[in-house]
Amino acid sequence: MTLGGRVGMRTGWSRRTRQEQLVYKLLLPVFGTVFVLATIPFVMAVIEALTAGPRGFVGLANFETALGNPLLFESIKQTAFYAAIALPTEILGGLGIALLVHRVIRSPGLRAAIYVAAMIPIVIPQIAVGVVFRLVYQPDYGILNVLLGRTGHDQLLWLSSPPLAMIATASVDIWQWTPFVYLVLFAGLQTVPSESVEAAQVDGASTWSQFRHIELPYLRPLLLLVLFFRLADVIRVFDHVYVLTGGGPGTTTQYLSLYIYRIGFQFTDLSQASALAVLVMAAMTIFYTIVSRFLPADRG
Amino acid sequence: MNRGRRSTRIATYLLLLGIGLIFAFPLYYLIVTSFKTKSELFAAVPSLVPQALNPAAYESVLFTRGYTGLLFNSIVVGLSATILAIAVAFAICYPITRLPASRRLRAFVLNWALSLRFLPPIAVVIPYFTIIRTVGLYNQLPALIVVYTIFNLPLAIWMLRGFLDEIPLEIEQAALVDGASRWQAFRHVLLPLSRTAILAVVIIVFAFDWAEFLFAFILTATPQAQTFPVGVQGLVTQFEIIWNEMAAGGVIAIVIPLTLMLIARRHVMTGLTFGVIREK
Amino acid sequence: MRLGRLMALLSAVALIGSACSSAASPAASTPASAAASAAASAAASAAASGGGKLTIAAVQGGEDAGLKALAPMYKAAKGVDLQIVEAPYDNLYSKLVSTFQANDSTYDLVMMDDPWMPKFGTDGSLSDLGALGISRDPDIADVVWDVGTWPPPRGPVPPSEKAKPKQLLGVTIVGNVEMFMYRKDLTPNAPASYDEVLANAKAQKAAGLTGYIIRGKATNPVVADFLPILWSQGGDVFDENWNTTIDNDASKAAINFLVNDLKATAQSDPGSTDAADRDKIMANGQGYESSVWPGEINTAVLDPAVTKVKDKVAFIPIPKGKSGKGVGMMGNWMLGIPKASKNQQAAADFIKWMLQADTQKTYAQNNGIPSRTSVLTDASLTAANPYFPVLAEALKSPPNWRPRTDQWNAVETILGTELNKALTGGQTGDQAATNAATQIRALMKSKGYTQ
Repeated sequence: MTLGGRVGMRTGWSRRTRQEQLVYKLLLPVFGTVFVLATIPFVMAVIEALTAGPRGFVGLANFETALGNPLLFESIKQTAFYAAIALPTEILGGLGIALLVHRVIRSPGLRAAIYVAAMIPIVIPQIAVGVVFRLVYQPDYGILNVLLGRTGHDQLLWLSSPPLAMIATASVDIWQWTPFVYLVLFAGLQTVPSESVEAAQVDGASTWSQFRHIELPYLRPLLLLVLFFRLADVIRVFDHVYVLTGGGPGTTTQYLSLYIYRIGFQFTDLSQASALAVLVMAAMTIFYTIVSRFLPADRG
Repeated sequence: MNRGRRSTRIATYLLLLGIGLIFAFPLYYLIVTSFKTKSELFAAVPSLVPQALNPAAYESVLFTRGYTGLLFNSIVVGLSATILAIAVAFAICYPITRLPASRRLRAFVLNWALSLRFLPPIAVVIPYFTIIRTVGLYNQLPALIVVYTIFNLPLAIWMLRGFLDEIPLEIEQAALVDGASRWQAFRHVLLPLSRTAILAVVIIVFAFDWAEFLFAFILTATPQAQTFPVGVQGLVTQFEIIWNEMAAGGVIAIVIPLTLMLIARRHVMTGLTFGVIREK
Repeated sequence: MRLGRLMALLSAVALIGSACSSAASPAASTPASAAASAAASAAASAAASGGGKLTIAAVQGGEDAGLKALAPMYKAAKGVDLQIVEAPYDNLYSKLVSTFQANDSTYDLVMMDDPWMPKFGTDGSLSDLGALGISRDPDIADVVWDVGTWPPPRGPVPPSEKAKPKQLLGVTIVGNVEMFMYRKDLTPNAPASYDEVLANAKAQKAAGLTGYIIRGKATNPVVADFLPILWSQGGDVFDENWNTTIDNDASKAAINFLVNDLKATAQSDPGSTDAADRDKIMANGQGYESSVWPGEINTAVLDPAVTKVKDKVAFIPIPKGKSGKGVGMMGNWMLGIPKASKNQQAAADFIKWMLQADTQKTYAQNNGIPSRTSVLTDASLTAANPYFPVLAEALKSPPNWRPRTDQWNAVETILGTELNKALTGGQTGDQAATNAATQIRALMKSKGYTQ
């Protein structure tokens, strides 16, 4: 009904034009302002990417320099591995927790408490998160190796053997952001009409088919949101990696974010950093266009 | 309820508890570390329990270093930017969900909003810095409030519209038919029904604002406008990590938002019951 | 409805709060700013005369401890408020880069590490201190003045800078030269050469200690540990004409010395070790020797609250290597005046005051690291700071500075990444040399340093 409501309204509204005018009247002042405010820096970044300090406009030279560095592709590869470890875990984990809490926990107080508790990992300053995990993973005085040692296991070089360093940095991401996925998806689950769920349960639908056919369609736009939010954020992880490994061993954890930061602030080549950022944005947009075809932003 | 269902239920509780414990451990260790003395932290083998609840690190962070002022800034920025983001998101979502906006317009707004997040911040931090300086807001809190508002729009817009889509148009129309103005219908019908959405968005957006570092650092110059994460960053210096104070900073960063939630707990409880809309 | 009211209330609170804090300063944050917080904003202080206020961007950590101690004294002596705004190392650099780029006038004085000088000098971000009345003083080692001069008075000069007149742009306020520390209770004689460094490290490793503690975390940390070894062993990153020499035989040998020989005596995980970890190992009595910066000595190794080795550690200049010399690395912190500052003369007056012998002594008594030879060798100070005479000696030798190119941060990142990879077993020392050289050559060529 709710869905049909909107579609029906669109065709059957008698004063359609006035209503449509109202859309623009309401939308324009606020959206226009925000659009301009957000677009100016973007345009400035693009201009920066096309210029080189005193030399002025240099065309695509910054892009050529950016793409000519083999370390870029190395960092893209490592970022892809990092994302491949962290993102599925966060999204499936967050989704799983959201579904479990939604279905099993009935007490409103407990539901609210869990919801509020899930914001904790997000409010801690990034650097402090990095420092705590350094106290966990550091091979000599980290608590993890101490516990492994006490239980008779081998101590591991969590921060300087390539696969482990990647897992260690990704685990921080998972710790911090799985709750975020839960926060978004759990809120989204509340929009699922209880009548549909009850009807399905009366029909004897399995837990899986209840999820697949009733809840998933409602969560789809939010899954898209969460996926691209996390993907965009993987390209800005910084502090915890910096504190844990500084990008090492070698280039193992020199992710795209660290790489762009280095180009921008360590090499102080802001033009090349802007070119890289524009490339990232373009890649994300293309990827988004493809994914949103399979996972439309609208249910209807 | 049959036996199988009951055991599944218990298993689920245990599973959630286990996940909770794994997530709680780093937090526990953060708290433990914040109470340790420097000599305890230098012990060759670290302990899981502090020798005593030593508040020195908290005293240092809050008073000796004077980060209380930064906390105040963080609270002002966090609350203002959160409220502003929700207000703006409402202003944008209302027309595209409650009025007959064309499908293309709706898609444009939503895609644009999400794409705000695609550009790595490193590229826009300097442009923002230039703009903020030009308009004379450098080293002032309003600069951060505006910037944070913009950055949190993607999330606020996408979450709000999901909720607004599901509130039947008829409810509002009924009010309009009864002679209410659009504003009244919005204010007295739609807004109360969106309570859950608002609270959910408030919590996430505030959390993002609260922990933001890069822009807070670049757009400010002195403690007058710096936020708490900027102060905490200084506890890792070139040669030293001040473990206990860093941990204390982390704990303080957790306690303040939780306290704010506690102050507003009546609203949190009524708002976060989740599913109020459906039980009509 | 209740929610609406709450939101309205919160907005009101937030707006009032934000208005307050932009109109007048909130609770003061640092001791220095407590005195200074009366003034509304840094820009407004331009108008202030007599008394007045100076805003200093400083690095967070031990290096600005002395500066913070001087602030109230300067207020008492000259009536000028010093607001010291701190940021940690990397952040301070990005803050200065962005501030200079925008020609912002917030900071009247800035603290900068000496490898940043080429960048700020090339960009013309700093005022000529000579024109503001600051000149060389024979009681302060020549190298201290040289390092603050741009273009550099000796060594290779970047091609773009050759025509520029030499100006003094920075004055050292933290005399800082990388030194060497070892456990004198274990080996009564100081290691005279890197051969002995290694031999002692092997012996101590066999006895159950960490022999040589490598600070090997990727990028800046590992390079800081490595450069004194490289130079002392006769290698270098560049020659006089900016040709990359990190892959010549001497440089390769130095790399292999670090990643093979010293590593065999090192702690379990040199690849993730930073200064804080090294100091912890040393302070706990678990390690025998390492390189060390003056700025890190007081935070752990000589901190009575944590150290187990207070009277067991000796500080010496970098031991001799195959080159026949021991070459320390300079890491002087300097004060400079941004061209954009509106308080040029007042800022210069503070630098002059700070360099006075009596101020320097007070400074040293408050955890500052002075650069005046007479203060460094002052017997009344050496009891508390046993490394002061060593530092004076090291400054006179003179130590090397990192190559004077605005590309240094990039070079350091490249070298530091490859060294870390070799240190963690991802490649051999020779490969590290070759890979670093290839990238550094390409970089220097693209920036016009070489053909």
